[in-house]
Amino acid sequence: MLKVSKLESGYGEMQVLWGVDLEVKEKSITTVLGPNGAGKSTTLKAIFGIISPWNGMVEYFGEDVTKTPPHKKVEMGITMVPEGRHLFPNMTVEDNLLMGAYLSRAEEKFEDSLELVYTLFPRLKEREEQKAGTLSGGEQQMLAIGRALMTSPNLILMDEPSQGLAPKLVKEVFETIYKLKEEGLTILLVEQNVFSSLDISDYAYVLHEGKIAFGGSVDEIKESEDIKKAYLGV
Amino acid sequence: MIAEQLAANIIYGLLLGGVYGLATMGLSLIFGVLRVVNVGHGAFIMVGAFTAFWMFTLYSIPPLASIVVAVIVGLAMGFVVFMTIIRRLLDAPELSTLLATFGIGVFIEELSKFFWGPDYVGYSWDIGGISLPFTELPFTKLYAFGSSIVIAALLYVWFSRTKLGKAIRAVVEDKEGAMVCGINVNMVYALSFAIGIALTVTSGVLVTLFTPVGINVYMGGDYTLKAFVIAVLGGLGSPWGAFYAGFIFGLLENGSYTLLGLIPGVEPFGLTRFVSFTALLLILLLKPTGLLGGE
Repeated sequence: MLKVSKLESGYGEMQVLWGVDLEVKEKSITTVLGPNGAGKSTTLKAIFGIISPWNGMVEYFGEDVTKTPPHKKVEMGITMVPEGRHLFPNMTVEDNLLMGAYLSRAEEKFEDSLELVYTLFPRLKEREEQKAGTLSGGEQQMLAIGRALMTSPNLILMDEPSQGLAPKLVKEVFETIYKLKEEGLTILLVEQNVFSSLDISDYAYVLHEGKIAFGGSVDEIKESEDIKKAYLGV
Repeated sequence: MIAEQLAANIIYGLLLGGVYGLATMGLSLIFGVLRVVNVGHGAFIMVGAFTAFWMFTLYSIPPLASIVVAVIVGLAMGFVVFMTIIRRLLDAPELSTLLATFGIGVFIEELSKFFWGPDYVGYSWDIGGISLPFTELPFTKLYAFGSSIVIAALLYVWFSRTKLGKAIRAVVEDKEGAMVCGINVNMVYALSFAIGIALTVTSGVLVTLFTPVGINVYMGGDYTLKAFVIAVLGGLGSPWGAFYAGFIFGLLENGSYTLLGLIPGVEPFGLTRFVSFTALLLILLLKPTGLLGGE
């Protein structure tokens, strides 16, 4: 579904990615693991186009989308749950979700998407009229995922969705991600939380200093003590 | 006598304040959405003033109808300036956009001088007024005020009700959040810049309804200064804050004119600007985020 080859990118003069290769299969959860500063977030941002790729290629269903701007990617069914959520704090929960359905392709499916979001997160329905900035951290994360779902996506890029949440909520977030897969969505996840993400993932990559150090099925990682010791610190 | 004069000045201050508010909304909108300070702001007010003047002088089109022309001219100018210049500078350091907008202002002024000459011009649209016990209130000033309120209200409704209006707010609140919703951020920038310039050019038409003389290619500088004070008063980046702050400024300017006139030996006209800017300094010292909140 998504194929990234030799992706290079960075910020200003500083190169962070030195040729990232990875592949995401349809209706799977793929996780990118790695220590802080390995380039996990940068990988997602470069794939989505928030920062521009310097070199390499991103393909989506065989089509070259390396230079496709983010809004066009959303039109094609790719969206992102950004690190730090990036909600619209002074807008209501409802308006945040409404903005998720901004494109006409998503607007057509508005009712269905909203039902899915409210079924997954009944709490958001209760807080419909509340401003997003007043929600708790966990609720904000739900809203960020909910807003992404409103775009009616096929592929969701998730950047550290469990960051800053209490352990109980972390578990909830990972359960939600698994449910999304069962709904037929494809997820590319970036996480620090090694165990929880491996538990729900089908495939995993280990990013090390801007390059993929290992890639394969989750079982392979779980069985390899070397990988766990060398790159994941567990 | 003095009370009457003060009452008249308060009314004029409020009416003029409405026009000042509109004349600042464009500046605040552009700063709020694009984080670009348009130093060439006044040049666009001048273009609006000349629009009203030429429409009236050449085609006898009343200034109120010129508002439509001004909106179209403003949208077109804003779009062209954005596409040719501003778009390239969005990621550049602040100094670049300051110099660029300053340059745009000078360019527009000099181009206008080339076509329209350096002279002061004016027009006279005499449509009577309302007689109050203490003053004669011309309809032109009331129309200017009314138009300003209507335009601000329409803009408010557009921003809060329409999808595109909400998309602009979304970009202001969180650019990255807007991107993941599929909002074309560059399109929102272009649109906001064009609307901001259209508001500014339109306010230039209203300015001439207030003072139909003294129209000159260099008239904008004064309005740039005032707009900066008002924008800061309103909390820079908030068009609605700017609109309200326009009233405060109008009152301050007109009120101080009357009060300063009471002091013997003081020439009030020259001092009003001193009072306005002293107020600005005080407000910045006491409440750096502006009187009406903001960032």
